[in-house]
Amino acid sequence: MSGPRTNGNAPCPRTRKMTVIAQDPSVPDAQKNVLTVKLDVPLERLVPGPRGSRVHVIDYDVSNNVLYKPAEDDFDADPYKDIKDRERIESDRNFHAWNAYAIVMATLARFEKALGRRAPFSFPGGGLYPGAAPGRGHVIKVAPHAFLEPNAFYSRRDEGLFFGYFTHENKTVFSCLSHDVIAHETTHSLLDGLRSRFMDPTSADQAAFHEGFADIVAILSVFEHKEVAEAAFWKKDGKPPEKSFKIEDDKVAAEDLEIERLRELYLVGLADQMGEALTNVRGNPLRNSAKLPPAEDYLDRPEFNEEHRRGEVFVAAMLNSFLKVWTRRLGPIGLDEHRPINLGRVVEEAAEAASNLLTMAIRAIDYAPPVDVQFGDFLAALLTADRELYPDDSKYNYREMLLETFASYGIRPPDKAKHGMWEPPKTSLRCNHFDSLQRDPDEAFKFIWENQGALGLYPDAYTYVPSVRPCIRVDVDGFILRETLIEYVQILDLKADELPPKVEKPGSMPNTEDVRLYGGGVLVFDEFGSLKFHIGSGVDSDKQTKRIDFRWQRGTFHQSMKVRRFANLHRMRNLGAGTNRKERW
Amino acid sequence: MPPESPRSLTIRTYQVGFGDCFLLSFEYPTQKRHVLIDFGSTERPAGAAKDLMEQVAKQIRADCESKLHAVVATHRHKDHISGFATKKDKTGTGDIIAALEPDLVVQPWTEEPDIQPDATGPANGNGGGDLQHLYATSLAQMQGFFEPALENLKVLEKMVDSTLFEELRFLGDDNISNRLAIENLIAMGKKSKAKYVYYGSGSGLEEVLPGVKVTVLGPPTLKQSQEIKKERDKDPNEFWQLARLDTAAFVSTSRKRLFEDAAIEENPIYARWFRKQAARVHVESLLALVRILDDAMNNTSVILLFEVGGKRLLFPGDAQIENWSYALRHEEIKDRLKNVNVYKVGHHGSLNATPKTSLWPLFRLRNEEASEDRLCTLLSTLEGKHGSVTSHTEVPRETLLTELKKDSNLTATNTYKQDELSQKVVIHFE
Repeated sequence: MSGPRTNGNAPCPRTRKMTVIAQDPSVPDAQKNVLTVKLDVPLERLVPGPRGSRVHVIDYDVSNNVLYKPAEDDFDADPYKDIKDRERIESDRNFHAWNAYAIVMATLARFEKALGRRAPFSFPGGGLYPGAAPGRGHVIKVAPHAFLEPNAFYSRRDEGLFFGYFTHENKTVFSCLSHDVIAHETTHSLLDGLRSRFMDPTSADQAAFHEGFADIVAILSVFEHKEVAEAAFWKKDGKPPEKSFKIEDDKVAAEDLEIERLRELYLVGLADQMGEALTNVRGNPLRNSAKLPPAEDYLDRPEFNEEHRRGEVFVAAMLNSFLKVWTRRLGPIGLDEHRPINLGRVVEEAAEAASNLLTMAIRAIDYAPPVDVQFGDFLAALLTADRELYPDDSKYNYREMLLETFASYGIRPPDKAKHGMWEPPKTSLRCNHFDSLQRDPDEAFKFIWENQGALGLYPDAYTYVPSVRPCIRVDVDGFILRETLIEYVQILDLKADELPPKVEKPGSMPNTEDVRLYGGGVLVFDEFGSLKFHIGSGVDSDKQTKRIDFRWQRGTFHQSMKVRRFANLHRMRNLGAGTNRKERW
Repeated sequence: MPPESPRSLTIRTYQVGFGDCFLLSFEYPTQKRHVLIDFGSTERPAGAAKDLMEQVAKQIRADCESKLHAVVATHRHKDHISGFATKKDKTGTGDIIAALEPDLVVQPWTEEPDIQPDATGPANGNGGGDLQHLYATSLAQMQGFFEPALENLKVLEKMVDSTLFEELRFLGDDNISNRLAIENLIAMGKKSKAKYVYYGSGSGLEEVLPGVKVTVLGPPTLKQSQEIKKERDKDPNEFWQLARLDTAAFVSTSRKRLFEDAAIEENPIYARWFRKQAARVHVESLLALVRILDDAMNNTSVILLFEVGGKRLLFPGDAQIENWSYALRHEEIKDRLKNVNVYKVGHHGSLNATPKTSLWPLFRLRNEEASEDRLCTLLSTLEGKHGSVTSHTEVPRETLLTELKKDSNLTATNTYKQDELSQKVVIHFE
């Protein structure tokens, strides 16, 4: 039954169970079959594809110019609940489509749960019908066997997620069967929906952030599945015996629960099993980020200006924070006394820690500036997101620990974030038409216009409001937080010799060069219409000097801030390719 | 001037359309010595005879009086080496050149046969070991990939914007392995002497050109280029990372579809828009790959600086900044480049082969006032074949061309008259 559901007076199920591959086909369960996991995916009307309200799997293979006919599965019966055999898994294209739909949809649902509202896509919609009404596209298209190429990526222009397949050691490797490749690419699309200007090439941090964030979501969301985390402890294949975890009577030895040991868990890395083969897919250097030893000068080292390596620093800070939280939670239940702990409890605490951190990380996007995000900004956003829901941090001291861990990787909140968190604006501002403000971008624009001086905005910049988002967030205790988020973006076109006083042009840039500056912020209102935070930077901010210089050096200056193409980014990483604008004609 | 030094030099720039071909004829008191730098083309000029390359080969034979003293093949792109291809019946342009019996063949280190795919042992000599071997092998394999890839694309032609296809075809064609030309270069080298050069290595040319100092400024070896990388904002291994590419991953070993038994659909309404998008994405993907290979191959170009009788001549092939970087970090080299009299414009005048801030401004003899003494530039190019005006990537790049016309005495093949096979520049030495 795939139609709309009515169930008399009985409670309606809200989710549907969908069996998917837990990691990738090479990760076995205890019986040496493929490790699978049953995801709870939001229940919706599904038609063959699978095709639902947000995700449409279209199984078109460009390299062979073949469109596979979608299966008429009984979606409610979880037709793949017993699928285990690797050969069958790899050869059943219907299952591939199912697997892709379920993981994309589950990732989307995870975002919505954290955000307390629907997660939008950034593409404008109407791609199919150019000139159709403006607005947002609602449905992302997913091609599980898109082409013969070791690549997988999100493309805004094409409103899709493309998963390639390729041969490796005479076997076909399907990137659509890797949980974290799917979660990673889906995260790109969702992050783009929340902050469309994060794909602009404005700084090394911003370029690295998309990759790093996508990896964090991919890794932490796996830890939320206890059975997968548990299997990671049992798994010994391919690891030297001394690296195996000691488990007796279902208990993990205390020495195996030290952070250094937990870093050895393959789940802390990415796509480890298809491993080498998949490095080609994402060009992902982040798999071992957790093992990057702390050093405060990474971000100043020239080689860490390259976005993937820089992303690695961010991921290292996040993952080590996760491992610290996890072990801290294990303290009172045995680790403090160096006692072995029941494996079930160990992975339960991991799931709890991962879930909290993931929720914070997703919510932090709401508190991040909409233009040119820096790692430090994100850290301040992360801490602010946490404080807003959990003012009392005395139990595990999460926030202090996050600050310390990030600082050990040279990531510090910006100066204006005292105690590491965003501060309320100096002048208190209220909106008198708050009811309307919660829905209406014009009302939001009016607020910005009226308060231009107090908000410190550059008068002549083109200003627009890309989003107005009321949201309701619930913490674990059921406490409810209502907020309204208003995003604005400013654009200013100038000649190089007309730049605002605090902004300097690069030495080699001619005075006549056209320069486009981007600024913007997010206004966070509380439930009574008072402005709680104003987060962002203006078009005339001194940060612009660095941004212009970065784009000038990187050769992205004349791409007029074209959206970065993940397809290329991944490939560039694989093959190496560079450009140097100042040496070009 | 010692008696064994040349008195003058005649440089002939041949019309090969989109390609390079130069003959340097050094005039000694009692004889002439001829060096051919590149002989290739990917596209004839409009209206040129079909046998243009044959005419050029014969003209070279006449101009060098049937004897070449050296051949330099800067890198293995078709537009630089296609003329060296032989034919079974021995009537190919490469056969004509082989008959001129060059005493020396100069190529970049990446072409050393020992480090090519059929190598039996590791590379030696220029400091990179296995990685070096892998790199050269990968370049060759990548070339092998394009032929089937382009073939596979034919089915998508109707779905994708034709300009994308044209660029792909043009670049792809230039990057397809020129096996016959490569074999001929190896054979000519074996018959006499082959020299595979890198920054700081000998060129071997001094032996055939007494009194002429020839310095190899590029390409750098892997080790050398990694030194630069450590100082720059790139992954240390990135530039030469082609070695990591598993080319088999791209090449379909059969034309079979992935799931033979699965049901397929023809062209349902729901998929039409997305199919086109996917096709475009894939073609763009391949194009990006070709571009990366194209750049990597350009950066294997041999860069030669000739110094004789107080004059300096610079022949950089298609080298781009990544290749140039290693040489340009040496002050002593930069000093010598300041007084260059003749500059062969890199890569047919493309936007990134005459480093704009680190090379071009070095040339002191640039001068807006026309005179015989000012910088002389040689440009072999053909408009409308490579890049596009709207994306500011056209070859030759308009801004560069303007500068060349303004500041130098420019010889440009795209301005030759119909049927004009070459133009000469004569340099007299002190």
